Amino acid sequence: MSKRNKKAQFAGTEGELNQMTQELDEFHNDASVSSMWAGVSNMIDGMRGAEVTKRPTSRRTFLVGAGAAMAGGATLLAVGSTPGLAAAATRAESRLHLTDTAMFPPAGYTGDLAVAATAASLENLAVYAYNAGLTAATANKLGPVPPAVANFATTAKAQHTQHAAAWNAVLKSNGKKPITETNPTLTPTIQAAFAKVTDVTELAQLALMLEMAAAATYQAETSKLKSTAAIGLSASIEPVEMQHIAILYYVMGMYPGSQTTAGSPIAFSSTSAAA
Amino acid sequence: MTVDPRALAELLEESQDLQADALRPTHAALDELVDLSHSSDGEDVTSNQAFHEEHQRGLRASFAGASLLGAAGGAALIGVLASAAGAQSSKDVQVLQTAAAIENLAVATYKTALTLPYIGGATANGVVTKFATVTMGQHVQHADAFNSAIKSLGGKAQTKPDPAFVPVVNKAVKSLTGASAAAGTMGVVGLALELENIAAETYVKDTTLVSSSSNKALLASIMGVEAQHVAVLLAVQALLKANAAQLISLSEPATVEALPAAAGSVGFPNAFYKTSSAAPASQGAVK
Repeated sequence: MSKRNKKAQFAGTEGELNQMTQELDEFHNDASVSSMWAGVSNMIDGMRGAEVTKRPTSRRTFLVGAGAAMAGGATLLAVGSTPGLAAAATRAESRLHLTDTAMFPPAGYTGDLAVAATAASLENLAVYAYNAGLTAATANKLGPVPPAVANFATTAKAQHTQHAAAWNAVLKSNGKKPITETNPTLTPTIQAAFAKVTDVTELAQLALMLEMAAAATYQAETSKLKSTAAIGLSASIEPVEMQHIAILYYVMGMYPGSQTTAGSPIAFSSTSAAA
Repeated sequence: MTVDPRALAELLEESQDLQADALRPTHAALDELVDLSHSSDGEDVTSNQAFHEEHQRGLRASFAGASLLGAAGGAALIGVLASAAGAQSSKDVQVLQTAAAIENLAVATYKTALTLPYIGGATANGVVTKFATVTMGQHVQHADAFNSAIKSLGGKAQTKPDPAFVPVVNKAVKSLTGASAAAGTMGVVGLALELENIAAETYVKDTTLVSSSSNKALLASIMGVEAQHVAVLLAVQALLKANAAQLISLSEPATVEALPAAAGSVGFPNAFYKTSSAAPASQGAVK
């Protein structure tokens, strides 16, 4: 799926994807994952009481920034308007749970819990996007799909699922309902961009923008959250999103690390996508 | 692929401009650091000593958990490190000095690696050479940033490499003497991987230890970059193990199509970044 050569060999059969999914299920039951959940449980204990810290403007800027980043991604993806993924996007849309932006996070989700809700909604959106992409690949809507790319999407989707579950566990333990909807600010942009994707390279660009928004958001929130547990959770996820970014760059034939739009590597990751 | 020094110099120059942009928020936050430094003047020695002692316990746990740390020598080193740490400094300064020490070690390691023909020579894989060169430069910038923060807090800059890891790295480098290109490359990648992972895990953990939001922001801006280094090294290591060094390429067309499926996920093995190999927070503190 190199940006210089899109003539890849098709390898994304449904059987392979099912196999990958089975492997991931096994991974989820792995002892190390159980250990992770124990850690999250400890974090939840530490989160108790953090809700009283109110930061009403932080979430707004966090969403606006991420939205701006995604708008940039949509511009990139506007090239080539063949709605090759329209059908897949429509099918996947049934998994979306849209919410009025003004009503999100729901009333009563304040301070760190507002951030947790927003983080969960972003993770849900990532899961949706990867799921839609994998569905499209399986339906031969993307053309040739290199096996490494299919595996990347499957694994990244599974990890975003775990991230969303971790934030929702935090919410539930603080007496709040889990967030099942995708981020209402970004969802329309992602939907519109996804409808224009015609191949895996464009899908990778969309994924890159999503991952960059997520990583920048966690990076920004790590220094703003009040609860030590929430800081720890945010800090444990940000590097993983950054790793997704590195591998995405690699499969796109680009330098595998944070970089400028011109491709120059940078030593400090930026929060500009999260504003 | 070969590395064009002029192109690399231009790239680094452009990168420096971008670093200035990326660091602007950090520099702006240094005022806050100074304020915090003044406000924490009252941070008593007892508190700092308690922090230091707590992280000596972490050091013992770390020796048990990380192979590089474990190889560093166990209990004997603990005594040395215990006296080396600066219990008089604030905990933020101790954390930052340890971070700078890790960065200094990383710089020295990559610098040495680049003198090896199969890493920095004409016969080396171009992607590996570029990665080592760029990454070394990034660690230089990380060390500078940590030391700027330290100085803003009134602490002493850490210009030396982490004392716990130096003997281990020296031993590892020495073992590369006479190694074949394949074995040597694998050895360097393995060593770099371990150092990068320790750096990333340390900074993830440190975000929960430092007091200043500016220091949290600084650590957060670096930990993801180190994690990316880990991801790349994991992928390179996997391809080397699979005797597929030819797939370590960014310039040759269509390599991604030939990549094994595992290459798509080997770079991010965990959904949550671990901290079990994190260096003790005061390990690299200046006396």
